[in-house]
Amino acid sequence: MNSTPKASSRAGSGARGRVDWRSLGPLAPVVVFLGILFVFPVAQLLWLSLFNDQGAFTSVHYERLFDSAVYVKVLGITFRIAAWTTLLCVVAGYPVAYLLATARVHTRNMLILWVLMPFWTSFLVRTFAWMVLLGRRGAINEWLQALGITDAPVKLIYNFAGVMIGMVHALMPLAIVTMLAVMRNIDQNLSLAASSLGARGGQSFWRVYFPLSLPGVASSALLVFIVAIGFFITPALLGSGREIMIAQVIIEQMEELLNWSFSGAVAVLLLGTTLVVFFVYDRLFGLSTMSATGGIVDEAERRPGLISRFGAYVGGRLITLMGWICDRFSDAVEMLRAPRPERPRATLSRKVLWATGMLVLAYLVAPSFFVIPMSFSEAAFIKWPPEGFTLQNYEMFLGDPIYVGAMIRSFVVALTSAGLAMLLGVPAAFVMARRPMRGKGVVFACILAPVIIPHIIIAVALFYAFAQVGLVGTTIGLVLGHTVISVPFVVVTIMAVLKNYDTRLDQAAWSLGASKLRTLRHVTFPLILPGLIAAFLFAFVISLDELTIALFVSGGQTPTLPKQMWVDAIFKLNPMVTAVSTVVLVFVTSLILVAEFARRRSEKVMG
Amino acid sequence: MSRPIGSRALSRRRMLTGAGAAATAVAFPTILTPRKAGAVTKLTVRDPGGPYVKAYAAAYYEPFNKKFAGKIEVTGVIGKHEPTSQIKAMVDTGTYTWDVALLSEAAHNLLRDADYLETLANRDHPDVQEIPDEFKTEYLQGVDVYGTVLAYRNDVYPSKARAPDQGWKDLWDVEGIPGIRALRKHPFDTIEQALIADGVEAGMEYDWVRENGYDRAFSSLDNIKPHIDIWWTGGAQTSQLLSTGEVDICPTWNGRAQAAIDGGAPVTISWNEGIFNFEGWCILKGTPNLEAAQEFVTFCANARTQALQAPHISYGPVNPNAYDHIDAERAKVLSTNPEFLPLMHKADNVFWGKEKDKATELFNAWLVG
Repeated sequence: MNSTPKASSRAGSGARGRVDWRSLGPLAPVVVFLGILFVFPVAQLLWLSLFNDQGAFTSVHYERLFDSAVYVKVLGITFRIAAWTTLLCVVAGYPVAYLLATARVHTRNMLILWVLMPFWTSFLVRTFAWMVLLGRRGAINEWLQALGITDAPVKLIYNFAGVMIGMVHALMPLAIVTMLAVMRNIDQNLSLAASSLGARGGQSFWRVYFPLSLPGVASSALLVFIVAIGFFITPALLGSGREIMIAQVIIEQMEELLNWSFSGAVAVLLLGTTLVVFFVYDRLFGLSTMSATGGIVDEAERRPGLISRFGAYVGGRLITLMGWICDRFSDAVEMLRAPRPERPRATLSRKVLWATGMLVLAYLVAPSFFVIPMSFSEAAFIKWPPEGFTLQNYEMFLGDPIYVGAMIRSFVVALTSAGLAMLLGVPAAFVMARRPMRGKGVVFACILAPVIIPHIIIAVALFYAFAQVGLVGTTIGLVLGHTVISVPFVVVTIMAVLKNYDTRLDQAAWSLGASKLRTLRHVTFPLILPGLIAAFLFAFVISLDELTIALFVSGGQTPTLPKQMWVDAIFKLNPMVTAVSTVVLVFVTSLILVAEFARRRSEKVMG
Repeated sequence: MSRPIGSRALSRRRMLTGAGAAATAVAFPTILTPRKAGAVTKLTVRDPGGPYVKAYAAAYYEPFNKKFAGKIEVTGVIGKHEPTSQIKAMVDTGTYTWDVALLSEAAHNLLRDADYLETLANRDHPDVQEIPDEFKTEYLQGVDVYGTVLAYRNDVYPSKARAPDQGWKDLWDVEGIPGIRALRKHPFDTIEQALIADGVEAGMEYDWVRENGYDRAFSSLDNIKPHIDIWWTGGAQTSQLLSTGEVDICPTWNGRAQAAIDGGAPVTISWNEGIFNFEGWCILKGTPNLEAAQEFVTFCANARTQALQAPHISYGPVNPNAYDHIDAERAKVLSTNPEFLPLMHKADNVFWGKEKDKATELFNAWLVG
């Protein structure tokens, strides 16, 4: 299905069994880092699931998983919710990513600000915003009734739909940005070439553009899925009660029952099942075989497994079918409308695309914009409509040294840990994407595991590891902990971008005498810049909104922003958090705007 | 076989033999600074943060630091809700981020049974003796009492139906008392409410389950399941729901309902058949500051001291004599007010200690079933 020409003979000719270990060197830092800070401590904790209270070997904890149907059922619910979230994120996110990828630079850079908005509003505030927006007495219901569309309040949340609204909203930016990073590397001339050879709009998109964008779709689906598996607060707050997530069960066993053995068994069940899903998925979409030039693709080409053959067959048929449907659809529309030869046909699909994109964007920014008027409200609770006008929330926030300190600390920690995650993850992604190597799937699974394993388990395991070297209660410890969970995002994003990267460009640079380093700096990095920025953003956001590891690893005297907001919400959600969210939103958005402005200036200067 | 995580004896041994780890430790900044003789003992106390910060600073931290100036200095730090895992990890590794922690009785039972707590050794102190036995154990000294009560919107009741102030039966009476209902998504409280609503005498529900199992509780829950609009889990959810009128009637902790009332929402608390718990100070096993920690806990038992927290949180003080020093108006919202306390009964945390695992499993199976 991948139509990138087979370019590099270097990697391709790397015969199996003759692995050049030096070429795997850049993978070493991330392997060592995750080995010490994730695999070893977490394995120790999960190891407990094989022992009873007396320290004797037992399988009782694993038997219990199947004694009551509830654990398998909850796992099923978790996977179902994650799968629906993934589907909705990718299907609704794709048009937005496509729109952004094919828009003019200036338009794209403005629109991406909107896509990123959900990232800058804390998940606690976001969830409460949805509660107030969509509740029985919420804004949406009020408008629906005022407009006479409904007589009585419609139940928009506290059901499966509510869970989807909250989760898709939280994860769609991740999906869009990952897909966008890949799409930006697709040469638009390829679509033009297809048209010049007679392909209609539908066929040209589905048979040329879409397959090229698949690495982005596949990686964004993978990221969204494994992140969604770990969600539990959003389903609890917006769901019907039936939406019990497996992470919730693990936390209950860890914290409320202090039963680390059984929680370990549940975590192993979760990890095991997720990895099985991952390997099947990997066979279908060839994620670990990220580069079309990599060795494993050769292997797959040589002996295609049943699953991948089946996948390729079904995929190919589906794509042809989609192209056909689209072209017939536009035929139908053309027939209905009087043909107007003076207007090119492309405008119609472009209009539909813009409309879809704007609708999705409106959904993404709704809670953030909703929070802004709330922050000036005099009400003691977050509620609709806002009451009066006051700056007291801002005065309280900016006048509270603990809060301001927590905000600064959160930004410093997030920047540092994102930087570290990039240093570790980018070289690793290059190796994973380009070098043939045995057991790549296993290494990839280990890199993904920190996202799958609930944070509480990582937090406890890290505490034991850090306690031995005095890192508990230090900012360094917190940065390291956040890096563990953000590195997977960097690796997956960069791998996805590299899959479409034409290595002949590097080779051209080498042949012109550029050293490897110069090629990297002047050719490769500029070309994959959107991917690098996306990866950094993900790592930054993961740290900025992280609560559990911060609670365990940092001492308490130096809280982070999520921690401070969380504890402030014991009895009620302090309306001050809307001011906090607004300040963070405005701050980050202006940073991006300033960077964009500076970029354009320098472009102008350079001509 | 080595099991460093989760097994204290082994992890300690590992710490002793881990000379390499010790050497590394020197290279890193550590929070465990050795104390010089005569220096001020720094005591760290975990509290839930948020609204507790002001209450505990005013009632405990500041007066204590004044009294023990130059000897002990206590600092409150924020910790996770019910931080049992964290305390286990701290004691296992000897890394005491906290010396003293505020814990619920249930969390205390878990940690005490696993030998993670120190005895308070202050039973004979006159202040401590003033605290009723139901609010203290050898390892836990109460600070406040929180009641699970029925809260309702008084703009809906009695205008829509009579006020639901007769106990849990009213929550189950979906015809007599119509309205949007929320219930806690947890076996704690909910099992009790289901049995009492079904006719088990309040306070006898634990014995009922001990003798007859959970069938009656779940069949009672079956009756109300279709009428529950929202299952709440915690956080600030119930106060938010009550304040915005998203629910009309729901069981919650009195502090949460009070937060809604204080925010101007038309909410009333019904204390009838309420279920109360207490939370208090525990000392982490093996803390290097044991004596200072015991000094602090004993200090907090004093009636006058306890009275100072009352203006800030509506979870009532455990020392009944504190009411001599509390403003009568404020006393009206406190859970340990002698007017309300007899209307409620205490949660049986020995029962829950044994049954929680099973009950949670049954409850989750019932919810998703």
